[in-house]
Amino acid sequence: MRLYIHDISSVSPQADFSEQLNASVENKLKVIETSYEGIPANALRRMGKAVKMSVGSALPLLKKADPLSGIIIGTANGGMEDCIKFMNQIIQFDEGLLTPANFVQSTPNGIAAQLGLSQKNNGYNITHVHRGLSFENAAIDAMMLLSEFPNNTYLLGAADEISTYNYNVDYLDGWYKKENVSNKELYNVDSPASIAGEGAVMLLVSADKKNALAEIKAIQTLHSEDVDYVMQELKTFLAKHLNGEMPEILITGENGDNRFLKFYESAENLMAEKTGVLRFKHMTGEYPTAASQAVSFACKVLQTNTFPQHSIKKKPAQSSFKTILIYNNYKGLQHSFMLVSNRFEN
Amino acid sequence: MSRLDMLNSNFADKMPFGEVKISTEALKKKLHANEHGVTRTNLLALHALKEALQSGSLSNEELESSDTALIGASTVGGMCLADEMYKDANLNLGGSEYLSSYDFAAPTLYLQKRFKINGVVNTINTACSSSANAIMYGARLLNQGLAKRAIVGGVDSLSKFTINGFNSLQILSNQICKPFDENRKGLNLGEGAAFLILEKEEDCVGKKIYAELSGYCNSNDAFHPSSLSEQGDGPYFSMLGAIQSSGITLKDIDFINAHGTGTENNDTVEIAAMLRLFVNDVPDFASTKSNTGHTLGAAGAIEAVYSILNLNHQEVYAGLNFNTPIVSNGLSPVKAYEQKEIRHVLSNSFGFGGNCSSLIFSRV
Repeated sequence: MRLYIHDISSVSPQADFSEQLNASVENKLKVIETSYEGIPANALRRMGKAVKMSVGSALPLLKKADPLSGIIIGTANGGMEDCIKFMNQIIQFDEGLLTPANFVQSTPNGIAAQLGLSQKNNGYNITHVHRGLSFENAAIDAMMLLSEFPNNTYLLGAADEISTYNYNVDYLDGWYKKENVSNKELYNVDSPASIAGEGAVMLLVSADKKNALAEIKAIQTLHSEDVDYVMQELKTFLAKHLNGEMPEILITGENGDNRFLKFYESAENLMAEKTGVLRFKHMTGEYPTAASQAVSFACKVLQTNTFPQHSIKKKPAQSSFKTILIYNNYKGLQHSFMLVSNRFEN
Repeated sequence: MSRLDMLNSNFADKMPFGEVKISTEALKKKLHANEHGVTRTNLLALHALKEALQSGSLSNEELESSDTALIGASTVGGMCLADEMYKDANLNLGGSEYLSSYDFAAPTLYLQKRFKINGVVNTINTACSSSANAIMYGARLLNQGLAKRAIVGGVDSLSKFTINGFNSLQILSNQICKPFDENRKGLNLGEGAAFLILEKEEDCVGKKIYAELSGYCNSNDAFHPSSLSEQGDGPYFSMLGAIQSSGITLKDIDFINAHGTGTENNDTVEIAAMLRLFVNDVPDFASTKSNTGHTLGAAGAIEAVYSILNLNHQEVYAGLNFNTPIVSNGLSPVKAYEQKEIRHVLSNSFGFGGNCSSLIFSRV
């Protein structure tokens, strides 16, 4: 199966993966919203943040692209803010007369639907909502589609928003830090939980390697709380897809949660001496589809052979890169390995 | 179809619901499900999955193998607990036991953990066509060699969230729904779950085979967030695509398990799309939603089971409560139970966001 990335657009808490690092506020890294050019003002008003981020980042790609064959989105929660706004109305007005706007906007398939609507696209349209593996499952779907229909082009994307209410639920559940921690100090604090993030990443993908920026060579997902099992699977994954070689760079989803550091450290220990280690969650914050930002980061590193100083955990031995491994885990249960490369094979 | 007995809502006796008449506590006991934070949605899913595993005779070894996939679908997840979620989301208390149970993936992750399923695990949400897409996704995993067997299906439980949501859109009927009737007043909500086990033909030797999933297609109507286009582009393309992918012809479809929710918009558009595709030879069709209500994310999987029953028993079920054909098209659904030869059943599922999917089940 082949998945080549031809264009990327994203909305994130940072302007780019550059040396400049915007700071988190009260343990939240919120996106820098664009001016959303090209979206009619009345349509914009009706969109929740997740939809806005997604449409806002997809439109520049779609302007340049040939007509799409379909739209594949990963989002754990979709329009969570609207969802709980509607829930609040139900309780506060005791199931009285309610307006449907928040209900209609709360459905997680609203992102893919809105994109389909804006492009008048009758093709394949789907939303993967498998919590911390929503983006990875969307990417696997895209890989299967490109194997089934090798001449097609798809929009593959992921988005999740910080909503007040969802933050509260995850905070109570112990996923966000109790003490105030800046993203600039995220890896220096020895405590459980992380800081919240949000963002959208949109990719134009096809099975054609000509002029592609990069390829997602392989993806594997796992559900396990056993670090030894996960590492065994990672070894098998690398052996299968890299013929025993090691990637030049490992990007990990390390997120400042000391309960899951052992997973990332074990993955680092599996790598070769020459393999550099980069981190990205101090730029994006933690959220269910954050791994999509790692793919975007990997593409930038492959294109430019540079990365910001603040992302380095261990400097790579080489100065030009062809293969990057991304290892992410969400809440210590949902793991993914993704190989991103610009060394295209025949 | 009856009043609500298991869920506390102002709507409990104002309209009929397709409610599963067993309390959440009784389900917990029956299923030995005493885990922390288990919700009614999880329990309905567990009940259906257990039945599927039993009739599919899947061993524990097969279940835990890395080539066994689990693809779930839900539009409500743990939001059946509206009051608890309201408190948690607004920090009203120190946090309930359900903090990890609200999202759409929660029922799938509950089943994954309980049965130690170790292959591809995924959850899909395309509103009311969610579990039709879960079935389609499982079949594609098999075709692409990413799984050897796929457990696919969906679940939703009745919830204040959906009851008030559909009520605010003014598409709930205060009588039992009348799909495809000129005087239909809207849909009724229901709850339930269904799971199917898919394997490739060559892996089914010596096993009971219920039916073949012979075609599928997903298409978007790209018209409006909560209603279908007049000409029914999405429904037309999903039905056409499913038939094309199965390699059969229009004439081979013996029965359509219609989406048929009983809303003004859906039923008119679904018939328009059938006429556009089949012209003068629209096959027999009916909706089972007058029996069950609309079970949202579970509907595609539950109706896949009905389609398979159509094939296994060579019979079709009546669309209940139907009296008067829609004036503009004059078509009537099947009005009485009937035994007849059924080779291929087309099952439709359409959802908000224009998410239309059609599946074809064939006799083996």
